[in-house]
Amino acid sequence: MKVVPSRSSEWVKPVTPQKPASAIIEIDQVSQVFQTSSRKDHLALSDISLTIEERAFVSILGPSGCGKSTLLYIVGGFVSPTSGAAKMKEKAITGPGPDRGPVFQEFALFPWKTVLGNVMYGPRQQGVRAAEAEAQSRALIEMVGLKGYENFYPKELSGGMKQRVALARTLAYHPEVLLMDEPFGALDAHTRTRLQNDLLNIWERDRKTVLFVTHSVDEAVFLSDKVVMMSKSPGRIRQVIDIDLPRPRRRSELLLDARYQKYVVDIERMFDESDEAGSPS
Amino acid sequence: MMSPAALARRTAPVFACIGLLAIWQIASLALKNDSFPTAIEAIRAIPDILGDKEALINILASLRRMAIGFGVAVLFSIPLGLLMGRSRAVAAFFNPLLMIIYPVPKAALMPIIMLWLGVGDITKTLVIFLGVSLPVIYHSFEGAKAVEEKMLWSGAAMGLSPLQRLVRIVLPAALPEILTGCRTGLVLALITMITSEMIARQSGAGNILFNALDMGQYDTVFAMIVIVGAMGICLDAAFERIRARLVRWSEPQFDLPLSFS
Repeated sequence: MKVVPSRSSEWVKPVTPQKPASAIIEIDQVSQVFQTSSRKDHLALSDISLTIEERAFVSILGPSGCGKSTLLYIVGGFVSPTSGAAKMKEKAITGPGPDRGPVFQEFALFPWKTVLGNVMYGPRQQGVRAAEAEAQSRALIEMVGLKGYENFYPKELSGGMKQRVALARTLAYHPEVLLMDEPFGALDAHTRTRLQNDLLNIWERDRKTVLFVTHSVDEAVFLSDKVVMMSKSPGRIRQVIDIDLPRPRRRSELLLDARYQKYVVDIERMFDESDEAGSPS
Repeated sequence: MMSPAALARRTAPVFACIGLLAIWQIASLALKNDSFPTAIEAIRAIPDILGDKEALINILASLRRMAIGFGVAVLFSIPLGLLMGRSRAVAAFFNPLLMIIYPVPKAALMPIIMLWLGVGDITKTLVIFLGVSLPVIYHSFEGAKAVEEKMLWSGAAMGLSPLQRLVRIVLPAALPEILTGCRTGLVLALITMITSEMIARQSGAGNILFNALDMGQYDTVFAMIVIVGAMGICLDAAFERIRARLVRWSEPQFDLPLSFS
């Protein structure tokens, strides 16, 4: 390597190897109690502790009602935990912020804005000049496969397209962590598969940290580095499983891969056992 | 060239009007009552009224009060309704107040207001304001309440403050509902305008109408009813145009608008 004179000090600095396992999100003994309509306390999350490493794709997998979305909302700062705390880069999470970008199952697009207007919203809010924000947004819209739809309104798009816009809108303000709340849950099987593939392609380019909530075992194993299995009432972490499959992952190859199949079967079996062993519900 | 179906749709309102006038004409001829002039007599009286400077000033004064009452009511009611829709505390405070005022005919408050503020513009404008406020508050409230939580969360994640979320997310998201309230408010503004001039007879379109009634000029009475009705139709049609343009993003396509235009 050529030694560059001190014009740019970054060049001379020894390149520190990226610490592969530095924590970006720490969830520390988080519990969440909701009051039900009958005024009884419902323990939605019980004593959750979890560390998410930087640039990891982590799925939270569990049956509906296990509080997995609530956990995501706590990391997002949308909901405050009843006890315990969540931290982002060692700072306590007290509210939402652009360092954590949510993508919801309901898309939650701004219906009065076009596709371009939706994607530009975040950068504009952050003070990026209009021309620059527009150029970046157009590039993102192309990346999520919606070139040509820039001037469409959300009501004119299908569910899958809406979710692509929602993803682009969140990526546009460069959050460090993507918080995905069953993002493909409202889509048909075919669209879901395509969006999973595209998400992986996009993710494998810049490897943001992703926290991905799902109830689909296939989806969790296919996408993730790590799967956090949760059980319900109260919501607890059952087990954390490292998914040791090579990347880039191709769906067609993975489905034939015995290791992939074993992960899926093992996880499904664990859920089945817990259902049988669990208290009658 | 317009297709026959489109032509029929375009001309339908005209035929409806002609039909209505024809029924009026026939009924009037059949009844032969002095206090029920024919449609043609009433329509003939319209140019006389609109040509009269005094009458024109009266009508314009009515419209001015209506515009001020409506404008102030909208500017006051939309923020209040939105705040009520997003904050339990604000809603809890204002709800009982509004529930008390809601069923009271605003014109019934006029004697008291007249006592305090006289029979001038302020009283009449205030009554119009009261008439317009409630539907606008109500629809703004419902619209704000229905805004998807996740949409607000998305905005919060982008760094929008609570006030920015109210102005830049709740307001546009609730706009279709708000404008429905404003449309109702506009018609109520016209109604309260005439009513207020009936009670405080001093100037205005309502005053012309009732003066004519006192003097037995029935063609003028009916002509004024036609003028006021036409004003209402025009205002509503103009408002509907603006509304449709503002909320095009939310309208289902191929919808026949409930409007006279």
